[in-house]
Amino acid sequence: MNILKGNINSLNTSGRLTIVTLDVSGFSLKSIIIENPETVTYLRIGNPIQVMFKETEVVVGKGSDIAVSLDNRIDGVITEITKGVLLSSLIIDTKAGKIKATLTSESVTKLDLQPGEPVTALVKTTEIMLSE
Amino acid sequence: MIEIALQKELTAADGIMKLDVDLRIQQGHLVTLFGDSGAGKTSILRMIAGLMIPDDGQINVNGSNWMDVKKGISLKPQQRRVGFLFQNYALFPNMTVQENLTYALEKGQDKKIVDELIETIELGDLQNRKPGTLSGGQNQRVALARALVRKPEILMLDEPLSALDTKMRMKLQDFILTVHKRYNLTTILVSHDANEVIKMSDEVFFLEGGKIIKHGKPVDVFASKRVSGKFQLFGEIINIEKQDIIYVVTVLIGANIVKVIADESEADSMSIGDKVIVASKAFNPLIRKIEE
Amino acid sequence: MDWQPLILTFKLALTATILLLVVSVPLAYWLAYTKVKLKPVVETLVSMPLVLPPTVLGFYLLVALSPSNIFGHWLDHYFGLRLIFSFQGLVFASIIYSLPFMVHPIQAGFSNLDTTLVEASYVLGKSKIKTLFKVLLPNIRPSLLTGIVLAFAHTIGEFGVVLMIGGNIPGKTKVASIAIYDEVEALNYHTANSYSLILFAISFSILLTVFLINGGYIKRFWR
Repeated sequence: MNILKGNINSLNTSGRLTIVTLDVSGFSLKSIIIENPETVTYLRIGNPIQVMFKETEVVVGKGSDIAVSLDNRIDGVITEITKGVLLSSLIIDTKAGKIKATLTSESVTKLDLQPGEPVTALVKTTEIMLSE
Repeated sequence: MIEIALQKELTAADGIMKLDVDLRIQQGHLVTLFGDSGAGKTSILRMIAGLMIPDDGQINVNGSNWMDVKKGISLKPQQRRVGFLFQNYALFPNMTVQENLTYALEKGQDKKIVDELIETIELGDLQNRKPGTLSGGQNQRVALARALVRKPEILMLDEPLSALDTKMRMKLQDFILTVHKRYNLTTILVSHDANEVIKMSDEVFFLEGGKIIKHGKPVDVFASKRVSGKFQLFGEIINIEKQDIIYVVTVLIGANIVKVIADESEADSMSIGDKVIVASKAFNPLIRKIEE
Repeated sequence: MDWQPLILTFKLALTATILLLVVSVPLAYWLAYTKVKLKPVVETLVSMPLVLPPTVLGFYLLVALSPSNIFGHWLDHYFGLRLIFSFQGLVFASIIYSLPFMVHPIQAGFSNLDTTLVEASYVLGKSKIKTLFKVLLPNIRPSLLTGIVLAFAHTIGEFGVVLMIGGNIPGKTKVASIAIYDEVEALNYHTANSYSLILFAISFSILLTVFLINGGYIKRFWR
């Protein structure tokens, strides 16, 4: 599990749903949750918060201007690759901290990912969990 | 406010255990005593009911003194207004459902409460049957109703649901919550099922070897931090195995077994038997009706 | 045949059984629930008539109850009771002689009953007495029945104690078992056989009834 530290930047609430925009060391990340500021106390602008997502949910993009629907993009550099038969694990060093990503070994080969290479870690808004 | 301080040496399976607990329970709350068997949960209930005498301590219930060892005060079980739901129901086999309830009436008490309770537990059709002819779940409902006839100041439930199947359990949990609210009771529940604790209680006391090691709101006690995930289940690890570069962790949740993928660093910190929380976002799980 | 010994026998058995019930329920209750260290001693005393020759018991009762001794004198002086060679004396001796037959089943009944029933009743605010009569006794009915019948049947069959303490006074202490002995002594085998047959038949039917009821045969039959 990846855990990054950030602060709440803005809240966009509709009924029980809220899209929380977070500032994580300069990166703007979004998370949608089934809570609103009335149901939980931690939803306050400026509040420090932990951002959590599973390594298996991280998409790795190469090059600039990746045209996909993912809002959350964190730039970094690959520092380590562990290759398995089917799966491979990457460690990406970013300004927000180290991010782990688990991809298929096939896609690592296809994208020709190497240590030292700059990449973007992408995460869906519905995959980011928040914790106090 | 109910203030309880109890000390007693208990002879457990593996030698002597010193029970030493302090509990403060707010009027109207439903609290749980949580812990493995042998942690002293049932003994605490028995001492509150007056069925067991502690070596030292006091019990103060809404300003009246039920027990104080130093001052030599100890009300008899009959004088303490408690409702006690025993693990084995303890229904009187010689009486019908209705007679079991009327037996509990106090002198001069209005009999209306009996009919009202029989209706609440939905046992009107069976009220003239004897306990021996009823199912476990039905007997447990009768025992619950009987415990409420006297309008107790404290309702105590000693693992009332452990012997029931999942469906019956859910139904009884709902019954308990209904009567807890309707009669504005202060309820103490003994349980070793984390999901039950989270569903039912305002506060949980986590017992280990006769001591309270943690207490607070169930979510705070079970999860070290509050998480936004709406899909949270509490379970126990029954297997961890490495597959390729990841780990597959098998978790027993209630009567279900689920598998969760974990990273090496996470798997290293876990072992079989650990209590864990499995969390996901409400957005991820698929839901589909089971074809009957 | 003289019916008097038979009538006397049943009068004695009935009186002794009723009094035994009154004595045995509290005694069995105490034995079942007490944690007093003295309990094994009391249990042994209650069980003594099971192993002791009836004549030994009869002999000591005779000595103790004789007005020339302290206890017998005290009874005579304060209550005007002379228990030797009297029907009251036979009742008293029978109670002691049949005590284990009544106490043991009832004590076992109490002990086998789930203690949480008692606790549940206490927590519901009910006194010990109310719990005894409404919860305990109704739930040990088979034990009570066994105790009553065993004590009754055992009293019918007693001989040695009766002979020692009651003597052989017709209409007063001459019960059926002694009458049989008398008739045999007098070589009236026919009369002895009549008494014996009647006692046999009655004892058999009583015991059979108990087994049928406690075995649930009758319950099943009536359903």
